[in-house]
Amino acid sequence: MSSTLQSILVYTFIWGSIYLLISLGFSLICGVLRIFHLGYGVIFVIAAYGTWMFMEDVGLGFIPSVLLMLLVQIGIAVVVFYRGVFQRYLEEEEILLTLSVLISIALMHLANYLYPVTAGVSIPSTIIDAMLKIGAVRISYQMLLAAFVGIVVTFVFVLMFLKTRIGLIVRAISQNLEAATLMGANVTKMYYLAIILSVIPPTICMLMIAPFWGVDPFMGSPLLMTAMLIAILGGLGNLKGSIVASYMIGFIHATVSFLYVSRFMGLAALIITLIVLMIKRGGLFAGETLW
Amino acid sequence: MCGDRYMLEVRDVTKHFGGLCAVNEVSFSVKEGAVVGLIGPNGAGKTTLLNLICGIYKPDAGTIRFAEKDITGMPSNRICRLGVSRTYQIPQPFYAMTTLTGVAVSVIHGKKRPHMSLSDAILEASYYLEFVGLFSKRDTLARELTIYELRMLELARALATTPKLLLLDEVMAGLNPAESSKALEMIWNAQEQFDITILWIEHIMKIIMNAAQQIVVLHYGQKIAEGTPQEIANDAKVIEAYLGGQYAQSGRP
Amino acid sequence: MVRLEFRRDRILLRWGEQKYEWVIEPRYWRNPAIGVFLLAIIPLFILPYPNILTMLTSANLYAAIAIPLGLQMIGTARVNFGPQLYLGLGGYTSALLNLHLGWSPIPTLGATILVCAAVALLLSPTTFIAKGLYFSLITLILPLTFLDVTFLYGDIFRGEVGLVGMSPLFNFGKVKWNYLGYFYFSLLLMLLYLFVSDKISRSRFGVTLAAINENEDVARMMGVDVTKYKVFYYVFPSILTGIVAWFIVHTFRTFAGITYLPLDFMIKILIIVIIGGRAFVYGAVPGAYLIAVVEDSLRGLGPINYFVFPLVLIGAILILPRGEGLWGLYHKRHHRDYFPTLHVRR
Repeated sequence: MSSTLQSILVYTFIWGSIYLLISLGFSLICGVLRIFHLGYGVIFVIAAYGTWMFMEDVGLGFIPSVLLMLLVQIGIAVVVFYRGVFQRYLEEEEILLTLSVLISIALMHLANYLYPVTAGVSIPSTIIDAMLKIGAVRISYQMLLAAFVGIVVTFVFVLMFLKTRIGLIVRAISQNLEAATLMGANVTKMYYLAIILSVIPPTICMLMIAPFWGVDPFMGSPLLMTAMLIAILGGLGNLKGSIVASYMIGFIHATVSFLYVSRFMGLAALIITLIVLMIKRGGLFAGETLW
Repeated sequence: MCGDRYMLEVRDVTKHFGGLCAVNEVSFSVKEGAVVGLIGPNGAGKTTLLNLICGIYKPDAGTIRFAEKDITGMPSNRICRLGVSRTYQIPQPFYAMTTLTGVAVSVIHGKKRPHMSLSDAILEASYYLEFVGLFSKRDTLARELTIYELRMLELARALATTPKLLLLDEVMAGLNPAESSKALEMIWNAQEQFDITILWIEHIMKIIMNAAQQIVVLHYGQKIAEGTPQEIANDAKVIEAYLGGQYAQSGRP
Repeated sequence: MVRLEFRRDRILLRWGEQKYEWVIEPRYWRNPAIGVFLLAIIPLFILPYPNILTMLTSANLYAAIAIPLGLQMIGTARVNFGPQLYLGLGGYTSALLNLHLGWSPIPTLGATILVCAAVALLLSPTTFIAKGLYFSLITLILPLTFLDVTFLYGDIFRGEVGLVGMSPLFNFGKVKWNYLGYFYFSLLLMLLYLFVSDKISRSRFGVTLAAINENEDVARMMGVDVTKYKVFYYVFPSILTGIVAWFIVHTFRTFAGITYLPLDFMIKILIIVIIGGRAFVYGAVPGAYLIAVVEDSLRGLGPINYFVFPLVLIGAILILPRGEGLWGLYHKRHHRDYFPTLHVRR
């Protein structure tokens, strides 16, 4: 096998798995709450800078910082986004979306002001600091581990949605809200659960990829764009679709990078998504349901 | 009173939704100036048939001709321009607009009126509102109307496009007997004054049996009977469809 | 040929077979006339402070972008999260043609209109094919992709620095006169857009707009050619936005995509539509002036202003009455006026 082909395969696997983590939370909110969480990008920024702040300014170790940061994340997601924005403005959707973007921009600029790029923010989450060679391709252990973590987390989520009772209730809510309420589902509790669950994959993703992806106060926006593209391609709110679409977009990025010029990755992904949208309206797995 | 030519000819129209066959080779014709009733148990495909005639769905097979012009698969707005208009089973007004502006939309777009200004349209719309008795509610938003007023608004909106064929979808549902008779009278007036042909889906037998000259019965998407109200009332297949087999033998509904 | 007739309360223009009616309502003229007069004489008070004049020019331009956006959102029944795509397209077209081919401002205006119309026509199927949600997402992504493209071909588009040194629209010799000229020209542009939007909303097309926004399928059944109207209400405001970009290029004489294409700028325009009140087309003017004033005054705070500015906007959204916005504080909406709901999840 030529080395280009090996590179494409390896990086499809790695990027696809990492994109799984990135898009999982977004698809979850989309499928269950039926809202576009345009402030989703800020979760990555809080994950990185929150941990950094607790480690540097408060002086805690790595694990306590991560736990505290997770609490802050959940707090912001539930209090600011869900109660402050989603619940109040469910009827006026353009205000809802604008407020989400504004909050995310404000927090990103705050991170930029407190810790500009020159401050050298980095997350010491490297587990194995070495490179390995698969065939003709050299990748770092961290990347491979990030990919595996992505697959494991997705597997756990899918298992939860398919096998547990709570997962069943969430799937019911995503398919038909009124019928689910008639069956006695406590929709508000499930919404809280969905918001909290949606915060976890991006945080894990950020912690795993920070060593090789780099940390930047405005990294939320490109990651949000990727998550949205994957969500559109796979069918809005559909987990199965997100999984397939993540690997597809990973494949497109890898192919364009190795066969052509890597700068065209995003554009190529967008064009392919638009073409798929024109052929099959609604994305690959169109259907207003979570699975 | 009935003319000689056929206003609407439906031939072997079929429509599938996935595995379900909603309309199965239905054929019938409506003469000019007639009032034809379309009845059948729930789920018989009556509203689907209406949607097919209006151009909301495209039939999988068969043709629909309106005034000797083939309208199968034409977009809804062109069908409306040709002279077909409809009311909806669940009223669908423009909730945030007043009744006057809602009917004005029909007036402006019902047929080709390139030189009509908004004030002219509103003048004509108020005439239609007065005809159905809603003139006093002309400045009320549609979300504040009662069910009877909503149905009258639907009727006014449908009439404002100056149709030659009016498709009514369960106008009487949800109205009490007094309102029903008022609505029936309104429809009679409309038919006389504007000289329109009516295809009427209805569940309330008393009204449709009195109002229609010809009745078509659908059951599970197929036409099982067609004829005058007398013939339909005594038809065994119709009785079986509505009431069940044991009444069919006695021959009485 | 053309005949003007003066009736008691309207002016009729008859041209061949067509009739144009303009209802004159003098009691409704007074306030808009006062408003325009005030806007026009403001520069006389602030001549010694040319940076305030620039700020007001920017305010006029923001309003000129927000007004077509409002029209577009109701006419296509979709929320457009990326109106600045046409700003970028128009700006780069004018700037590149001016710098590399030496075209003067008038031909570049024609070219901008053509380019924006072509791209808008190409993208217009998204208004009626996809559901509202997909349209909003695609419009969100497109300007950022365009920004990426400008960075990719950085030698042409000059990346972050942008293009500089385009020819000005007019040059009076003295700098102060130039600033005054730019202000009045931008004011004229904004008032023209306001006038056109208002005329459309009050005519029979306004009723059609409302019908399409309320219920497309029912409107189609009543004879409205929804596709044609949606394409028009997508292409026409896009062209208007492109013209604003042309004006920016030839007034400020620098154009960088990074200023106008990212999410920050889009938020400013959306805020103007929301704060100004989505039920009113006039609301964009006080909204734009508020945003421009807040932005400029916060600039003095230093780098923290990037954090404070979104917070101020959040506060403004939360405080002002929903949907009515700033303009609603002045003009109580009549019960029977159309109050649009913008659906994203259509």
